[in-house]
Amino acid sequence: MSDLRRRSTAILWKDLLTEVRTRQGFSAMLSFAALVLFLFSFAIGPNSALLSQLSGGLIWVAIIFTGTLSLGRAFQTEELAGGIRLLRAYPGDPRAIFLGKLGANLVLLAALQILLFPAAGILFQVDFVPHAPALAGIAVLGTVGFSVAGTFFSALTVHARARELLLPLLLFPALIPVVLGAVGGTEALLAGDPMSRLTGWVRLLAAYDVILFVVCLWIFPVVLEE
Amino acid sequence: MSRPLSSAIRVDGLTRRFGRRWALRGVDLEVASGETVALLGANGTGKTTLLRVLATLLRPTAGSVVVCGHEVTEEADDIRSRLVLMTPGGHVYDELTGLENLTFAARMLGTRSEREVLRERLEAVGLGSAADLVARSYSTGMRKRLELARLGLGQPDVVLLDEPFTSLDEEGVTLVQDTIGLWRARGATVLIASHRLSEAGRHADRSVRLEAGRIFEEAE
Repeated sequence: MSDLRRRSTAILWKDLLTEVRTRQGFSAMLSFAALVLFLFSFAIGPNSALLSQLSGGLIWVAIIFTGTLSLGRAFQTEELAGGIRLLRAYPGDPRAIFLGKLGANLVLLAALQILLFPAAGILFQVDFVPHAPALAGIAVLGTVGFSVAGTFFSALTVHARARELLLPLLLFPALIPVVLGAVGGTEALLAGDPMSRLTGWVRLLAAYDVILFVVCLWIFPVVLEE
Repeated sequence: MSRPLSSAIRVDGLTRRFGRRWALRGVDLEVASGETVALLGANGTGKTTLLRVLATLLRPTAGSVVVCGHEVTEEADDIRSRLVLMTPGGHVYDELTGLENLTFAARMLGTRSEREVLRERLEAVGLGSAADLVARSYSTGMRKRLELARLGLGQPDVVLLDEPFTSLDEEGVTLVQDTIGLWRARGATVLIASHRLSEAGRHADRSVRLEAGRIFEEAE
């Protein structure tokens, strides 16, 4: 096993084990996501056609709001254990930290979405089942983009005083292409893609994911330097 | 004690500033390979900052710092593979057990991570019966013992200890001193930052006193 893979797997294992032990992190995420969906549902009212039409956007907004809470915790556990720099003090490529944290965020967000999509389907009266494989593809692309940017900016703001404010301020602008692609793709898919725009949204998401991943991975070591 | 010729640590004109506060103001220090030095001084005199710069965790504001022949800003990774740092709070994850904390450290270092080997390490520092308890339930002294077990995973050339005796009982202090003795016997260079000469100076070849970010005096 390569050094980078061994170390990033160790961080992934440690973060997931910590999450399993604490549990309240994921439970809080899930409760918050459900609350956001309920609030949207109440705000729009009993107009099932409108709810169904907006469901793609509402789900992704819920995922991004909830995911931002989870991202904030990703590097907080390091601060409680003495600081991210002590993790950096291990010899080897610092990108292992990025990859390990990214992996843990991806697993948590994937678990959240597995529960969130069926709940949203019931609440918004949308049948996701016929579109499940394509929807899973869009969800994977959207989650990767969100997690890459989120992991990067979470590391960048870990020592900032107003990090809870700073993280969304930096993160949300970087997520615009992800939100556009994921919401556009989900809505096009659920509407049966009448204007053949689904491929375009998927291409946008995939291209942005690749660019984001390469750039973030490349400059991550600089983020850890003081 | 005669000092070996080559230097493991060479610091020239090191300054480090945090905002408007100067933590280190032109520190010059040379530590020979295999030498043990006690770094003494009150709180806020710059001991921890100096150790963190040596450990490549902080970049110097100015000056030159060479550890094991490598410049800290240019060749940090070469230094990290040959150096260990013990911080006062330790690098301990509360939600993992002692054994899991050590497993994580072993995987990060690429050393043997079999449970039996790591259990032996924990037993050696008096944590055998607490190996499967989460670290959140450990006392400060137990966390320090876990940190000692972690530092023992590698074969470091340079060992930096920041307040290693704080919060330890008599048995714990003896354990740290014995561990320092083992590192010395292996030929490692050891730098011990402490408030007190009585504990830090026991194994030290010489002591260095820091005051207000400057080396105030050196004594054999």
